[in-house]
Amino acid sequence: MSDRRLPRASLMCTFYVGLSLAIVFCRLLPISTLPPSWAGPDLWLALTFAFAARRPDYVPILLVAVLALGMDLLLQRPPGLWAALTVLGVETLRARAPALRDLTFLSEWAAVASTLVIMTLSYRILLTVLAVDQAPLGLGLMQLLSTLLVYPAVALVAHGVLGVRKRAPGDIEPARGRI
Amino acid sequence: MARDRGQSEDYSGPFKRLLLGLLMLCLLGLFLFWRIDSPRVERFRAQVVDRVVPSFDWAMAPVTGAVNILRDFQSYQRMYQQNQDLRRELQQMKAWKEAALQLEQENARLLDLNNVQLDPRLTYVTGVVMADSGSPFRQSVLINVGARDGIMDGWAAMDGLGLVGRISGVGPNTARVLLLTDTSSRIPVTTQPSGQRALVIGDNSVAPLLDFIETPDQVRAGDRVLTSGDGDVFPAGLLVGQVIEDRGGRMRVRIAADYERLEFLRVLRSYRNDRIDDPGALIAPGAGPGPRAADQANAARAGDE
Repeated sequence: MSDRRLPRASLMCTFYVGLSLAIVFCRLLPISTLPPSWAGPDLWLALTFAFAARRPDYVPILLVAVLALGMDLLLQRPPGLWAALTVLGVETLRARAPALRDLTFLSEWAAVASTLVIMTLSYRILLTVLAVDQAPLGLGLMQLLSTLLVYPAVALVAHGVLGVRKRAPGDIEPARGRI
Repeated sequence: MARDRGQSEDYSGPFKRLLLGLLMLCLLGLFLFWRIDSPRVERFRAQVVDRVVPSFDWAMAPVTGAVNILRDFQSYQRMYQQNQDLRRELQQMKAWKEAALQLEQENARLLDLNNVQLDPRLTYVTGVVMADSGSPFRQSVLINVGARDGIMDGWAAMDGLGLVGRISGVGPNTARVLLLTDTSSRIPVTTQPSGQRALVIGDNSVAPLLDFIETPDQVRAGDRVLTSGDGDVFPAGLLVGQVIEDRGGRMRVRIAADYERLEFLRVLRSYRNDRIDDPGALIAPGAGPGPRAADQANAARAGDE
């Protein structure tokens, strides 16, 4: 059984990387260079959280760290800080994933929301303490809210299309803790 | 939950925690390093962008093109209306062109009469916009010319008409143009005809703020805004836009460059002029206004007495 599981995990990993690259690609397209009056959701973060809360074994922490750092560099954010917070957030959700398995989607959403709010808050506080130029507060809040609003849709796609489902109680745990 | 974790991560736990700790150390370390010595990290960022984005380019150009075609398609519906507008505008432009030609000739004649030496003509390198900043919080674009083409940090980038921004971050094949609308953009300008000096301060809105005006009363909406060349930031006299007044009564700049479609940007080569720092040898040839000149002056005074 575990022989069959391993390729699936790595397949999903590849899928995840591919989706991440596609998201970055779309964000970099120079379609409009006007400063926007609204901020869209951070799809990549929603996707990562959806994976982390459901099947943490599909998103190895090293991979998340590398992708997050890459995005920091490409999207002109202060390099490292948001990536570090993302890693912490993913780890938090990973630790909660076994408990979330038995609960409803609402509690998963709440877990993601609390993680994201704490991440955003600490990001802003740290940047303020270190006197780094920041984006307007309104845009940041808008992005936070829209990411939270779009999370159910991302989770639905992950569940329905990609097949990222929580482990059912009957599932055999493959190679957990065996590295 | 605690029981579950305790069971399953019994002996992989320490390793994972170590990995996590190391990761956090690296990431936060990089961030702190960036805060302390940002030019070095920004150069690294420019290198990374230079590697990554051109490899997307084969796909990026067609997708952007397709989206633009779709958008053009939408505007076909209003074609008749647009055609009429354009005709009317063209008529006006012809009148302006005539006036401009006459003025140019007159100007050339006057310059010739006065034997005026103007700045050497600015030359430029034209680049194509490859990517934007990808984030709603930063306003910048990436163009496909870089250090290989002699681009240097701080040069001005314009579209056909007005100033777009300045180079901030150069990789071997790419360079980033920080737009006027970015929150960290500050450009010294003068307004015309009032001749007031001011700063154009980006604030992530379409029309950046005009602030630190010498005498704000003299600046009116409709004044033209040109770069002033103060602080060696830019060559003087590049068109930025027009002053407008927002609802709060604050002065803003309507940018002349077409920010909706930035496609080709020209980067002006501006090498620093020689600066004149000392007052020069005015008293006697070969002697600066140093101690020697002072001695001479003293000696002359002593001789008089």
